[in-house]
Amino acid sequence: MKEARYLTFALSKGRLAYQTLDLLEQIGITCEEIKDKSSRKLIFVNEERKLRFFLAKGPDVPTYVEHGAADIGVAGKDVLMEENRRVYEVLDLQLGKCRMCVCGPASAAELLKHHQMIRVASKYPSIAKDYFYNKKHQTVDIIKLNGSVELGPIVELSDVIVDIVETGGTLRENGLEVLEDICPLSARMIVNQVSMQMDFDRIRRIINDLRTVLKIGT
Amino acid sequence: MKTKLLHTPEGVRDIYGAEYARKLYVENQIRRQFGLYGYEDIQTPTFEFFDVFSREVGTTPSRELYKFFDSEGNTLVLRPDFTPSMARCAAKYFREDDAPLRFCYQGNTFTNVSSLQGKLKEVTEMGTELINDSSVEADGEIIALVAEALLAAGLREFQISIGQVAYFKGMCAQAGLDEETELELRDFISGKNIFGADDLLVSKGVDKLHRQMLIGITDLFGPAVVLQQAEEQADNQCSKDAIIRLKKLYAVLCDYGVDPYISFDLGMLSRYNYYTGVIFKAYAYGIGDVIVKGGRYDSLLGRFGKSAPAVGSVIEIDHLMSALTRQKVSIPVNEILAVTYTKDTYQEALEKARNLRRDGKKAVLLPEGELR
Repeated sequence: MKEARYLTFALSKGRLAYQTLDLLEQIGITCEEIKDKSSRKLIFVNEERKLRFFLAKGPDVPTYVEHGAADIGVAGKDVLMEENRRVYEVLDLQLGKCRMCVCGPASAAELLKHHQMIRVASKYPSIAKDYFYNKKHQTVDIIKLNGSVELGPIVELSDVIVDIVETGGTLRENGLEVLEDICPLSARMIVNQVSMQMDFDRIRRIINDLRTVLKIGT
Repeated sequence: MKTKLLHTPEGVRDIYGAEYARKLYVENQIRRQFGLYGYEDIQTPTFEFFDVFSREVGTTPSRELYKFFDSEGNTLVLRPDFTPSMARCAAKYFREDDAPLRFCYQGNTFTNVSSLQGKLKEVTEMGTELINDSSVEADGEIIALVAEALLAAGLREFQISIGQVAYFKGMCAQAGLDEETELELRDFISGKNIFGADDLLVSKGVDKLHRQMLIGITDLFGPAVVLQQAEEQADNQCSKDAIIRLKKLYAVLCDYGVDPYISFDLGMLSRYNYYTGVIFKAYAYGIGDVIVKGGRYDSLLGRFGKSAPAVGSVIEIDHLMSALTRQKVSIPVNEILAVTYTKDTYQEALEKARNLRRDGKKAVLLPEGELR
């Protein structure tokens, strides 16, 4: 009965999904179907090893995993911090490395040195709130934006922004810079808490194989 | 008609018809098992003073409690969990008693969890508490009873995972961690977040040997053989004692014959501070939530003025129901028989219905023809 069960992976749509699949291929887990970009299927199956894959929007991946709709998921640390779901975070896949930062015009650096109220625009209100309230003890007004957060300080919607910085190119082009580092980010493998208990042989083997490929000591 | 009146607030819902019949059947099966083990039903109020559930007692975080005030300005709380109420009751009515006390309960609990995550804010819980007994047999009885209650409810595929807080605590003490670091580390370890734990320990200047040992706890889960590995890794008496206790517990569970459902997880550390010894959770395929949780809480009763050891468990009935549905367990629910009557045959039909009821069958009278 247990053998017949599919192990389901939820992957974050986009570049990360393909990077993850490359990594999984290195430990012998393949899914030819999913690579066919013209396919409009939502679920991809590897019958031989009883695996299923589906692509979801990044922030939804922890939701699928928490509820057990997927056993294993791959999502950015930013998403995990923002969503704060009850899942096991088992591996740092070392993909999509970047940083979560407070950014703004150089003149805004002064505003971060005191405890005065400032306005912060971000796609990640929970992360921004946690950083300013619990780490810096600064009162802030958080404005949730859904994209192009760099606009915030430019059009004077906010004093600073909290956002992901990869190379800093977009920031520089718009006259902004990194003012403070919040934390480093990368893609993480997450596991449903029940699946970890019920299917622990298969999941543990995948984790150990990935650890070997990623050269992480135990 | 005001359609707005027809909705329930988010996180609460109506349960009716066949669904409620199934839920009641399952509850009855479980209650019967509790009764067979000699547990006595106890009913506590739906709301209590805030202090019963406060941070010092170590239950649900304050912001997840439904709070309100009475006319004297006291803060009241809708119970988020039964155990503190049980402890309060035991301390109040059985203060001088030192014979083992067996309580069971059934009722709804309330937590103000965040919206739109697909979680209910009002759920039904049934549980047991065994007070004044610190033995390993008491731990075994509570866990065996959980297994038998789940089997009686019809669940077949489930796993009870057992941990022991003292193992982790002993390791923390040995590594010289302060309380705050220990709490932070507990979150990382119970989330099996190895690099988070490592970063924290590096920043606190913990040496490599202790770092490896503490992080190694995340790998200590699986069937009973894992206890051997855990014992070899333990470097202090407190952790070793914890493993000895778990081994004895496993022997007791083998005697009960429930060992096929048992596994161990030394990285399982509850966010409830009151657990002091063995803790456990039961999982089932198909649902992401635990269906049973429980453990030993030897210091909780002391908060209410009676120093006594205790161990307990709680079955989350709503989660159990979804597990039964997902595992396609059919639950016998008696059909309702309809007895029809016309103007002239009412007495006859009534007699028939009463006979059916006397035989324990469900019967309703239905008017026919021009009477409708």
